[in-house]
Amino acid sequence: MNLDVLAGCVATASCFVTQVSTGLIVGMLLFLVASGLSLIFGVLGVVNFAHGVFYMLGAYFAFAAYEATGSFVLALLAGAAGAGLVGIVFERFFMSRVYGKDLLMQLLVCYAAILICDDLVKIVFGADYKLMGMPEAFATAPVEVLGGFIPGYYIFMVGMALGIGAVLWLGINRTRLGKIIRALAINPQMVGALGINTRLLYAGVFGMGCVLAGTAGALAAPVRTLTPGMGLSVLIESFIVTVIGGMGSIPGALVAAILIGLTRAFGAIGFPLFTDGLMFALMGLVLILRPSGLLGARTA
Amino acid sequence: MRAGLMRDLGLGLIGLVLLLALPALFPHPSLRDFLIYVIAYGLLAMSLNLLVGLTGLVSFGHAAYFASGAYVFGLLMQGGAVSIPVAMLAAVGGTALLALVIGAICVRLKEIYFSFITLAFQMFIHSIILTWVDLTGGDQGLRGGIPRPPFLGIDLGDAGTLYAFCAVVFVACLLVMRQVWQSPFGYTLRMIRDNPARANFLGVDVVRMKLGVFVLAGTMASVAGIIMALFVSGAFPEFGFWTTSGEAIFMIMLGGTQVFLGPVIGAFLLQLLNHYVTIWTHHHGLVLGIVILAIVLGLRRGVADYAMAWLADRRAAAAPPATPAKAAAPAETKAAG
Amino acid sequence: MSNGANVTGRRVLLGGAAAGAAMLAMPRIAGAQAKVIRVGMPTILSGRVAILGTSSRAAVQYAFGRINEAGGLGGRTLQLVERDSKGRPDEAAKVTRDLINNDGCEIIIDGEASSGGFAVHEVVRDLPVLCIHTNSETSSLTADPKLHVKTAFRCARQGIHDAVAGGVYASGISKQRGLKRWMTCSPDYAYGRDNTAEFLEFAKMYDPAIEVVDQVWPRLFAPDYTENITKALQVKPQAMYSALWGGDLVSFIEQSNLYRLFPNVALFSSSLGDPPVLTAIKQLPAGLHTAYRYNRNYPEKPANTAFADGFTALAKHEPTNWAWQNYVAAQFIAEALKRTNGRTEGAALAAELKGMQISSGLAVEEKLTLRDTDHTLIGYPTAWGRTVPKAPFVEDFAPIPWSQILEMETQWKKQKGYA
Repeated sequence: MNLDVLAGCVATASCFVTQVSTGLIVGMLLFLVASGLSLIFGVLGVVNFAHGVFYMLGAYFAFAAYEATGSFVLALLAGAAGAGLVGIVFERFFMSRVYGKDLLMQLLVCYAAILICDDLVKIVFGADYKLMGMPEAFATAPVEVLGGFIPGYYIFMVGMALGIGAVLWLGINRTRLGKIIRALAINPQMVGALGINTRLLYAGVFGMGCVLAGTAGALAAPVRTLTPGMGLSVLIESFIVTVIGGMGSIPGALVAAILIGLTRAFGAIGFPLFTDGLMFALMGLVLILRPSGLLGARTA
Repeated sequence: MRAGLMRDLGLGLIGLVLLLALPALFPHPSLRDFLIYVIAYGLLAMSLNLLVGLTGLVSFGHAAYFASGAYVFGLLMQGGAVSIPVAMLAAVGGTALLALVIGAICVRLKEIYFSFITLAFQMFIHSIILTWVDLTGGDQGLRGGIPRPPFLGIDLGDAGTLYAFCAVVFVACLLVMRQVWQSPFGYTLRMIRDNPARANFLGVDVVRMKLGVFVLAGTMASVAGIIMALFVSGAFPEFGFWTTSGEAIFMIMLGGTQVFLGPVIGAFLLQLLNHYVTIWTHHHGLVLGIVILAIVLGLRRGVADYAMAWLADRRAAAAPPATPAKAAAPAETKAAG
Repeated sequence: MSNGANVTGRRVLLGGAAAGAAMLAMPRIAGAQAKVIRVGMPTILSGRVAILGTSSRAAVQYAFGRINEAGGLGGRTLQLVERDSKGRPDEAAKVTRDLINNDGCEIIIDGEASSGGFAVHEVVRDLPVLCIHTNSETSSLTADPKLHVKTAFRCARQGIHDAVAGGVYASGISKQRGLKRWMTCSPDYAYGRDNTAEFLEFAKMYDPAIEVVDQVWPRLFAPDYTENITKALQVKPQAMYSALWGGDLVSFIEQSNLYRLFPNVALFSSSLGDPPVLTAIKQLPAGLHTAYRYNRNYPEKPANTAFADGFTALAKHEPTNWAWQNYVAAQFIAEALKRTNGRTEGAALAAELKGMQISSGLAVEEKLTLRDTDHTLIGYPTAWGRTVPKAPFVEDFAPIPWSQILEMETQWKKQKGYA
């Protein structure tokens, strides 16, 4: 514990700005992955244990597209769309067969997907480290804000994540399709009876969740190392975020992701012993005191 | 009940004799190694199935007790003050206490939330093992081997004796679990699984029953951990990682949740698969993944459950021609959950 | 239903077990008569550190291929049998026993990372074949006499050697440039913590002016290091030591680049000098200090360049640190087999390997030695160099004399109660 230093940092504009931005940088990518997880759970009622795979695929698809075309925009699109397409195929051919079955079946199908995709990535791209490289446009010095420094790419990344989050929220709460999806989460039989193709919707929502994870992977590709199996640590962190925020709640995922990001950023200054063990302890505590999470609507 | 006990004891004895006879018939060290693996992981899977198949509690954190058994046993033996049986009892007792504390919190939660909190506790314990380097050796595990001093004239330093010892412990644990499986307690647990509200209505203290089986399952898992520690002569943080829990869940699913020995069959099949796939290809993830998909989407249940349902189906078809055979469809075997 | 189930279950189980037994017990050609000498290698071929296993495997295959092409050893050829332990120590133990008991492997090259290495070490205590650890850098594996196994050797760099070399090199620079305020950023596990503590111990010993102002410990395999990097921006150290390695190090450097950290902070890295790390980093800053891991231009010998070319042709990437260690282990094994006239008993090979010296492209002087007292490799490159943005990525290697390393190692052993 070093609270003096922490207080000193909060009181200094430059330190405060840098650390808040750090929290957002760490938190917003986590939010993108976790929101996909939460969306799928909220609507389909299944936990996508293979979610990390789509983050990995997004990163590798973006990497491949960037190598081929040199265009960062195309790389982002390829990452998002590629992960989404694989997600839809996975949902249609595998996941949809175990809906309503017990949790173990879903867990095993996801486990199989992780094993297969990690191996396929290793076969196609090799086992060595890959990095997409920073696009020219962002190869600038960090921006100075009130004496604190924020790299240009991170501003773009956080902005993208916030934008996507906002579109997602508006899409679910303000559009007709969003209404149908919300109805689907509550009463799928009724939605089906109204002549709406629920299968298509399920596949669409699952695919959307995977697009979110794939976008996070694509955004991470210039700054995080690509290796087979890279989805694992992100999966575990986004689980923690989802549980703390409330399974199925997208605003909850946002709050929890930023909370974790800020705790890590300021924790690094003030209480450096905030380790993984404490993250799990926090998750346990939330589960005990409020199993539905900070903003979750359902009760356990 | 008594007759059932006698029969179980008899069957257990036959099983034990067969387990002991196998390496004598095929005197090859790798068969012994292989069977010890099946014994250790089979016991882990069996203990987990007390929660999953019998009570409907899907724990994602069962490996925590496997690791706790291995570490407590290994540390006591490395300390050098106690003999193997004492260290085993202490490891089992210590793990029971750990399971009691964790279980008291976990069993109050339902469904996926139960799964997550068990996962959280397991990862917490895993990170303690990793960070408490002075005691546990951190990521390098308990180094320098676990001594196996002879006790009561039994020398576990000899590979054959070690195998026989593990087989005896294994069969003894199976008999204990079998008694629970068949006892009124076991049937109460099934009722909790199928209809907790009804159980509660009938005056069953659901939380206490769940806690009881949670502690029992943890205890049995610790025995599995001890066997593994004896065999590899060490304990490693991977024992308590979620992948170990995941593998145990897969063994249960592969073998079947509703047949008593299903998980052991699953452990056997998975080890066999693992053994040969690792030999023939470096893309074992790809092969294993496809096999899992084939079983989950093809059979839709464990191998033993499938075989049982198939047998029941055939009997039904053969016996009374009056009833249509389709009535005894495989769907009879209720999936856990 | 349960009674019937019980009986059926057991029948299925036993039937299966018998089938399995029959398969497992298939007769193998006894090693002594076989024309081929099988060498087993448990290693990690899947997951995040798969490159450890794939590059170790390629190096041994390359070495064996050359030996076999040249007519083998007295008419016998060497064959590598590798198995994936998936990074699990218990699996490593089982796979190693299988390789020895079932696959007729008479020698083990242990390509496991450190925890798996300890597990394999215990197997070899039970089944005394010759074993050479090629990827575990943890000093205690061979330095601690309590862990000594008669037929086990280490042909890899050792933590304590690197720590002394790093301390000598870093203190030289710190005195020259007045680098007093130091920070460390290393992965939070036993290797990361030990490595960092040992480096600091020797750096401070040679330059008492060094003051450690902060230490951060990101978790192993963390995807993001931003909070550690911005912490460094606040602390403003003059120099930083990092024991991060592999993909983690790639992420750390690239993320630090975004904040322009390194022009202001002198980085001393234990693992940056590994070609796959260097080639993965897109914008490698100039002037970072790194320990030697592998370089085709150092030691400057034709045999080294030939190894780099041969390996690259096979593996499609430059050799890793793991690659040269395994290549050298294969050379030691071949030489030992020559001297025993092809006898593969663990004790016989171990007697030859104790204190064995071979000429190698990887030796800083003339020869590499497997020291007889503690069965570990000495004489390998422990130099430090500075990065340049383009291939060969690291230049100006400054060798640290082995006499100095050995002297400090002896003191360290006494202090630890190892000698």
